[in-house]
Amino acid sequence: MFEKLIDNSMAKSPWIFHVNAGSCNGCDIELVSVLTPRYDAERFGFRLTGTPRQADIVVVSGPITLQTRDRLRRVLEQVPEPYVVVSLGSCPKSGNVFKGSYSIDGPLDKWTHVDVSVAGCTPKPEAIVAALAKATEILKEKRKEMRK
Amino acid sequence: MLPYLGKAMTNLFRKPSTEKFPVGDAPQAAERYRGRISYNPDVCVNCGMCMRVCAPQCMHRDIETLENGDQKITFTFDLTSCTFCGMCADFCSRHSITLTDDYMMVGTQPEDFIVTGSFIKKAPPPKPKLTPEQIAEMKAKAEAAKAAKAAAKAEEPKADA
Ligand code: SF4
Ligand code: SF4
Ligand code: SF4
Repeated sequence: MFEKLIDNSMAKSPWIFHVNAGSCNGCDIELVSVLTPRYDAERFGFRLTGTPRQADIVVVSGPITLQTRDRLRRVLEQVPEPYVVVSLGSCPKSGNVFKGSYSIDGPLDKWTHVDVSVAGCTPKPEAIVAALAKATEILKEKRKEMRK
Repeated sequence: MLPYLGKAMTNLFRKPSTEKFPVGDAPQAAERYRGRISYNPDVCVNCGMCMRVCAPQCMHRDIETLENGDQKITFTFDLTSCTFCGMCADFCSRHSITLTDDYMMVGTQPEDFIVTGSFIKKAPPPKPKLTPEQIAEMKAKAEAAKAAKAAAKAEEPKADA
């Protein structure tokens, strides 16, 4: 019974941890704008958390630079299962305009599973909200599978 | 104090500035927004200009030669690689590429981000085969024309004098 209660409460309020893996800041600004009153993702229970240990959804932006690669991996190791990884913008999926640079070590698929991706440079906040909504659905399913 | 009170009262009765989305339709993007690429293979001439100007090398061209010598040319755009700069659309002289205002590029599979199109490039018609006699005849004709020209030139200064 308690499990169900916990599951239901967690499904209603997925917490987000945002990793900047060398992004140009465009995507980060848009993710923050999603939490402002105009788009107000907090009305769906999304909340930015300061520590990966409390996160349900990890949002990664940027092309994974050599400097951030190990930090990204360390962050991902601390996130409790199950979690959903959202790739924000074109950078984590392909490197975007930084593709082939000596200082990046992407794409993100190399380091973790990517469940939802949003294309755009930067994506519009509405698209980010839609991606987070999709991530919540996937998270629910993952949790259900884990309980089996 | 009074102006603040007035503002507070009007704000109380104003409708919220928060967008309703994802309840209901997504709002329209701004004018000339650069979103999902649309590619029209029917007007493309395979000049390759778009590939040359694309900084992240987002498109990819497959050339497949068919049995009858025609070529099947396929352009594939990977939207997760695109920076939506619009250079390809600007440089495409045939306006085959346009950037639409669809910004809802959210997906879980790589296929959700692929825009592709292909067309057939006809092979040029085969060159007519000439027999050796025909070639000799054409050569003779050319020689005769050359000789006539030289003769005309030799006559010209005399006419002047
Ligand atoms: S996708 Fe574009 S806006 Fe986002 S981090 Fe990369 S370069 Fe910057
Ligand atoms: S899409 Fe336009 S620029 Fe690209 S090959 Fe075709 S005609 Fe040329
Ligand atoms: S919009 Fe820019 S990045 Fe995207 S395909 Fe065209 S040229 Fe390449």
